[in-house]
Amino acid sequence: MKRDVQAQSLAREAEQAALQLHTRRHFLKEGAMGFGALALGSLLGSCGFGGSSAPNALFDASNPLAPKPPMFPGKAKSVIYLHMAGAPSQLEMFSYKPELAKLDGQECPQSLLEGKKFAFIRGVPKMLGPQANFKQHGKSGLWLSDNLPHLATVADEIAMLNAVTTDQFNHAPAQLMMQTGSARLGRPSIGAWVTYGMGSENKNLPGFVVLTSGGNNPDAGKSVWGSGFLPSVYQGVQCRGEGDPVLFIKDPAGMDRDLRKASIDAINKINQEQFEEFKDPEILSRIAQYEMAYKMQISVPEVMNINDEPAYIHEMYGTEPGKTSFANNVLLARKLVEKGVRFVQLFDWGWDTHGTSASGSVDIGLVNKCRNVDKPITALILDLKQRGLLDETLIVWGAEFGRTPMQENREGKDMPFKGRDHHAAAFNMWMAGGGIKGGTTYGETDEIGYDIVNGKTEAFDIQATILNQLGFDHEKFTYESQGRPFRLTDVGGKVITDILA
Amino acid sequence: MSTLLIFLFNLPDFAGSFHPLLVHLPIGILLLAALFQLLSRKEKYQSLSSAVGISLFIGMVSAIASCISGYLLSGSGDYDEDMIFNHQWSGIALAVISIFAWYLNRKGRQITWITALMVFLIVLTGHFGGSITHGSDYLTRAFSADGSGQAEEKRKPIPNVQQALAYQDVIKPILTSKCYKCHGPNKQKGKLRLDIPDFILKGGKGGKAIIAGNTDESELIKRILLSKESDDHMPPLEQPQLTKTEMDLIHWWVSSGADFNKKVADLAQSEKIKPVLLSLQSEEKTESVLISDIPEKTVGQADAKVVQDLLARGVAVIPVALNSNYLSVNFVALDSITNSDLQLLEKLSKQVIWLKIGDSNLDDNKLKLISKLSSLTRLSIERTKVSDSGIALLNSLSKLTYLNLVGTAVTSKGLNQLKSLKDLRQIFLYQTAISEAEFSQLSKLFPKAVIDTGGYKLQFLESDTVELKSAREK
Repeated sequence: MKRDVQAQSLAREAEQAALQLHTRRHFLKEGAMGFGALALGSLLGSCGFGGSSAPNALFDASNPLAPKPPMFPGKAKSVIYLHMAGAPSQLEMFSYKPELAKLDGQECPQSLLEGKKFAFIRGVPKMLGPQANFKQHGKSGLWLSDNLPHLATVADEIAMLNAVTTDQFNHAPAQLMMQTGSARLGRPSIGAWVTYGMGSENKNLPGFVVLTSGGNNPDAGKSVWGSGFLPSVYQGVQCRGEGDPVLFIKDPAGMDRDLRKASIDAINKINQEQFEEFKDPEILSRIAQYEMAYKMQISVPEVMNINDEPAYIHEMYGTEPGKTSFANNVLLARKLVEKGVRFVQLFDWGWDTHGTSASGSVDIGLVNKCRNVDKPITALILDLKQRGLLDETLIVWGAEFGRTPMQENREGKDMPFKGRDHHAAAFNMWMAGGGIKGGTTYGETDEIGYDIVNGKTEAFDIQATILNQLGFDHEKFTYESQGRPFRLTDVGGKVITDILA
Repeated sequence: MSTLLIFLFNLPDFAGSFHPLLVHLPIGILLLAALFQLLSRKEKYQSLSSAVGISLFIGMVSAIASCISGYLLSGSGDYDEDMIFNHQWSGIALAVISIFAWYLNRKGRQITWITALMVFLIVLTGHFGGSITHGSDYLTRAFSADGSGQAEEKRKPIPNVQQALAYQDVIKPILTSKCYKCHGPNKQKGKLRLDIPDFILKGGKGGKAIIAGNTDESELIKRILLSKESDDHMPPLEQPQLTKTEMDLIHWWVSSGADFNKKVADLAQSEKIKPVLLSLQSEEKTESVLISDIPEKTVGQADAKVVQDLLARGVAVIPVALNSNYLSVNFVALDSITNSDLQLLEKLSKQVIWLKIGDSNLDDNKLKLISKLSSLTRLSIERTKVSDSGIALLNSLSKLTYLNLVGTAVTSKGLNQLKSLKDLRQIFLYQTAISEAEFSQLSKLFPKAVIDTGGYKLQFLESDTVELKSAREK
């Protein structure tokens, strides 16, 4: 009896599934639209349209990571994006504001607070002067704080964006905004877009690798390197610094390489049959991913191993093999780029200096964080330079927003340490290499770094510039999803031509 | 009401803009009338004689309309007045002659020399008109030395920018390349002419182009700084734009007094402009060669079969851009390179311009095959077994701009053999057998190139390894 019911429900389920394949909507779509498209297609075809203009033509399901040319010759071939999750204080690193020092301890004028919303500041906060000393560096006279003594030696390689702004003042949406062009979930990240556009130059490695440090993943989770509506094969592949770079990358005991190959071939064969039946391109992506996973078993441990790097390189980057550290990740980024990986995304966690603890303060915790990243980042620039790779590798440094010129007063109370709240209105980012003109600055903020004065730079502008350097017109680089073409930069974005070489 | 006024006010300009369209009617119709007249003398075409009258009439009307619209257009002030004079009066003469010819035809008479004069005037007026829009040398341009006519002054390299003449050497070349086309000897749009100091000072319809020392009031500065969205932005969007450097230079020159005779050194210089001026000096030696530099000459498509074969081997063969046939090739995914790989590559020698084949089993023997890729502009053979004798083969790669030899056994002797490669702009020699003492020698050998010898070291700072603690934690 029970069995009958079960069989019945199964039969019903099967029937429903079959129906779903051919619903009325499906018929209308395939029928009416199909005929219309057929007619239009032949019309356009005779005028020389059609064919190449098919949407999402860059996605070849059978070989989704095949190397592809950019729209125009790009200046950069790969990108290393260093994202300091939590948002470092620009006022202790890049933004020299002597006026703010004079206002230290004074109450913030009401005019600055009216109509503004902050994550934690309530009531009337006090201004907090810069907690670092600034000097000019290089021929370009770039202002940098003494928290970044190494970076100061390569000041002339850097193009500083002084007036970056966003409309999100919480970490997760702001990180999504920076990385995917939307504060809400569901859009592909820049790395996914780039991999969709260019594929992978190295057939044994993914086109987009993500490395995290600082003890946590970014607040927005793995969506910041997700593929959104792009085929999932374009999402970032997260590699670990400790232990196996990718979980379960080693064959289990008793499974040799030949047996592994045979089983993957068998699985792929079944998947191929599934594809013949359902024609879902995601199945082809799955097959390609199995293939790549098999190849990655050899290639990834090799490239992710920094033990064989010479001692002077370890000294230069400040790396310690076997640990998870930002320095290790930076060195790995260089190795990956050398091996033809298009987009390497680094997230370093722990920059959220509210002043709730010593490690979360702008005069102690931030200094330590700077010491962690200053040397490896400088080493990266110089190492890429001496290897002849700096001109074709775009380095982007940034975060999701900046920090307030006011001291945080969570719940209207004094904080135990000096900290600053989230500040979306004005912060700094910088770029180097990859056809960027070193020794330039773009944009200006007011004398306390509260608001921008000129050279407003939004996430879209930075994304447009990154795509431009790789050879893509951000206005024409689209993917059609749910019936309309999408852009990384939505309806915004302007290439920051002032900082281009 | 006001819209109507604006409409009426702008009507002459609007009507004038039809002149370039209308002028073609009298040219065609009157020539046809003359042709009919000539042909109708033959018995075979006699029937055409009845068409001469109506052709002359329509031609005459269109000639008059052209005269009126032309007169309205000349009021715009965008054109050289001397040139307009010739065109205007020959055009009016043509209209008068056409009236005369039509009148005679009505009276049943036909005077050959009147028709001949009409044809002559059509040619003459047309030529004058062409000179106005396309420049006075448009007809003979094809025969001039460089075939392009407009003798474009190439900017002379400035050996010492401080000793250069501010206007003559710095500003004038910018105006020549970006402004003269519309504000030069042939055209003076907005009544502005920028090729002679007196004219520059006189300004145009919009007011003074430059006011020495006052950049805020100088129309020229205002226009070039306007955002591109503005209608008044100069140069117009469809023309080559000024670069940031060029804008900075013009701004500096005007703010420092817009002197036409002084040397750069004699004009006030802010900290901001100094590096910009300096950049003019060593124009030859640029810091970096952008990889987007691809040959201007186009090339035929690569053999698809060969490309497929290489791709199947795991070699990344990609066009440098969607609409380009030039190829970028990367061997990064290959464990070992075989001679047959390189023989395949040789078949693409016209297309391959960028090649990355470092970190591989490449040796002097295999380099022989690479040396046949004569279109190469960028070559990376870092960390391979190539040596001096192999490097010498690269002599044949005359277009090479970028050469990466990091981590090879190459010595300065080997590099000496490449001194004929005049286009080399970047050479990477980190971890080679070249001693530091030899580096200066090498930069003399390749005066245009930036030679990077690497070996960068970061200063040792104690603070790097010290963790700051709060007073309370201590």
